[in-house]
Amino acid sequence: MVEITRRDVLKTAAAGAMAALPGGLPRPAAAQTTQKRELVVAQGGDIAAFDPHQSTSSNDIRISFNIFDNLTSRRPDGKLAPGLATEWKLQGQTTWVFKLRSGVKWHDGESFSSADVKFSIDRSLDTTLKGNRVNTVLTTVDRVETPDPGTVVIHTKKPDPLLPARLGFYGGQIIQKKYVESVGPDTFNQKPVGTGPLRFVSWTKDDRVVLEANPSYWGGRVDFDRLVVRALPEMAPRVAALLKGEVDLITQVPPDQGERIKATASTAVAGALYGGLYVLAVNSKRPPLDNPLVKQALSLAIDRETIVKELWRGRGIVPNSMIAKGDNHFDAAQPPLPFNPAEAKERLKKSGYKGEEIVIETTAGYMAGDKPMSEAVQAMWRDIGVNAKVELFEYSVRAQKNRDKTFKGLWWSDPTSTLRDPDGMMWRLLGPGGPQDYWRHPEFDELGAAARLSVDEKFRGDAYKKMTKIFLEHLPWIPVIQPYEDYGLQKYVEWTPDPLQQLEIRRFNFKFRRA
Amino acid sequence: MRGLLPFLGSRLLRAAIALWLVSTVVFVVMRLSGDPVPLLLPPDAPRSEIFRVRAELGLDRPLPVQYAVFLGNALRGDFGRSIHFRQPAFGVVLGYLPATLELGLTAFALAIVIALPIGVISAVRRNSAVDQTAMGLALVGQSAPTFFIGILLILIVSLNLGLLPTSGRESWRHLVLPSLTLGAFAMASIARLTRSSVLEVLRADYVRTARAKGLSEALVVAKHTLKNAAVPIVTITGLQFGTLLGGAVVTETVFAWPGIGRLAIQSIYNRDYPVVQCTVFLSAVLFIVINFCIDLLYGVLDPRVRSS
Repeated sequence: MVEITRRDVLKTAAAGAMAALPGGLPRPAAAQTTQKRELVVAQGGDIAAFDPHQSTSSNDIRISFNIFDNLTSRRPDGKLAPGLATEWKLQGQTTWVFKLRSGVKWHDGESFSSADVKFSIDRSLDTTLKGNRVNTVLTTVDRVETPDPGTVVIHTKKPDPLLPARLGFYGGQIIQKKYVESVGPDTFNQKPVGTGPLRFVSWTKDDRVVLEANPSYWGGRVDFDRLVVRALPEMAPRVAALLKGEVDLITQVPPDQGERIKATASTAVAGALYGGLYVLAVNSKRPPLDNPLVKQALSLAIDRETIVKELWRGRGIVPNSMIAKGDNHFDAAQPPLPFNPAEAKERLKKSGYKGEEIVIETTAGYMAGDKPMSEAVQAMWRDIGVNAKVELFEYSVRAQKNRDKTFKGLWWSDPTSTLRDPDGMMWRLLGPGGPQDYWRHPEFDELGAAARLSVDEKFRGDAYKKMTKIFLEHLPWIPVIQPYEDYGLQKYVEWTPDPLQQLEIRRFNFKFRRA
Repeated sequence: MRGLLPFLGSRLLRAAIALWLVSTVVFVVMRLSGDPVPLLLPPDAPRSEIFRVRAELGLDRPLPVQYAVFLGNALRGDFGRSIHFRQPAFGVVLGYLPATLELGLTAFALAIVIALPIGVISAVRRNSAVDQTAMGLALVGQSAPTFFIGILLILIVSLNLGLLPTSGRESWRHLVLPSLTLGAFAMASIARLTRSSVLEVLRADYVRTARAKGLSEALVVAKHTLKNAAVPIVTITGLQFGTLLGGAVVTETVFAWPGIGRLAIQSIYNRDYPVVQCTVFLSAVLFIVINFCIDLLYGVLDPRVRSS
């Protein structure tokens, strides 16, 4: 779900021009405090929709998660906290009871109740809703009951240990039944009404979205009066706007620009370890990639430390499996994926590899660092005697190949761990019938299916340990890096970035440093 | 004006054919470039969902049917609903048009106001320091890519000197850098062409005659040279308007200017067929109208065009 970083020639050229030029003139002592009442954020693109059921893009959710609330709230530290539900518990195997927060008002003054929750979940699953982009999120839900205005009972089709996590991410935003029904989907999408900390004011397409503080927000009024979110598509001007002080916070800062921001007295960089991984996904059906020994050799030949240090300037970590750090059941005892070219050569020999061409297909800039990483990996593979080739393709071609499952060998994927659990990332993509289903293993499949439907976390943990062992032998993905997602900010901004690309500006996470 | 009606008629017919060709090419190219549906849905969307959205957008119908529907609707000014914005495409594009017109016309005006006098002065004071500096700058303006000029201006004028804002569209101050950037190429071309055109006329017999009559040099240039040098200048100026529309794509992206250039590039990335088709169609209309006006202007400037 990492958003499209601009991929035309401009980007590289602009970055080059920016890097080649001297920095700004020395400025007077930088302001480390502020009296500002307005927060200005610049992101790489404009929003497409306010209706939270019509979008999953990161440019949109940065705004929609602040206009709307979910029943549960995923905090930047990765933990699930109460949102519009104050508590929830599982009764039996398939019945979840949510107690709702009382006294919550919508931005138009109406009272929030369980009927809104039922309406929201049912609508998210409605395939006849035009433009619905989230109807695969809550598919484990069988039906929703509302015994009283303050209680919601959700029955799942099978046991679903991750229901509270699902409700905390996109597809789970709660919208108002009465308002949406009375104004219709188009008006709702233009003039959203939520319960969140910010109220909608205006939207100038491809320019800015303006929101204002909801004074009676149940989580406390935010630390500013207005939020302006500007769309600044080019990275160099976005950084310039930050350095000049026109904006307070910018998204998607690449590592080299981060150093420039840090070198300026008034600005800083804040990063969150991405809630997901950058992997080379493998078409394990194509010889010689159907041979586990070949894949092991490829993985052992990648010097990930060097990639992190040189290409990412240290802004990332080396993964140890198919589970991202920060997720449930991440095993810290498992060592990072090793680099051992001698052993790689050995396994390649044993595999009977005969110099067949192995292709990495990559876009240039859709995923941060995809092309340079491909070239680095290609060189590393050639060093152990692999006939490696890099082929460039357009993002739309990638999307098409992804759909038709026609990749030639390896390709970059940046799976997001939407539920902060292996089920929501590895199993969602690699499981039977998933978008990256190119390899099957009976025991792996059995464990994955059992872990999905178990509400016993100990059992699930054991299953994922066993799956990790099988994964590391067969490598349906070759994980390469878990990068940091960096933001640039003024030093008077106190804010913690979110691993899943939300812009959490609620009271507990955002403050202007005042004099 | 003799023969104005046939003249107008043939021009209008040509314009209509050009518009039809442009629309058809865009229609075909957009369809060749790929399917928008995988870009709209999360990567793990099931096939049934992909088929549902394809049907919802009318993309499941045969291409000739889609083309017929597109042409029929386009004649009524209906370009379909934007896949990305989920609103009528025509309305979306119209919403972005004022920003581009504001930027484009300012750049156009700046280019003419700055380039014409520079070109004339360079011609009259040929090989002087003024001429060499101006033509040197024009060479840079013509050869440096737009995004490079844009980012250079942001770094020097906004960031280092702190004179103007880096990007966005608010006051007139936000308009200065983008319009200079966008106008740079046109400015350079017009200045160079004005210089060579004026130089040529200055060598003509009737100018020598004017000088021999004892007219002052200023009067020679103003009365006898400029109007005669104007036809090629007007031609290049009209053509430059097309370059401006193309340049708007880059300039608007660099300066986060919410115009149709940026809309076009975003829509191409999103495979938003209706918006791309509508944007190109409206740009083509704009270009054709401007050049139509230029054609009429020829008639005013040069009576020979009218009679031929």
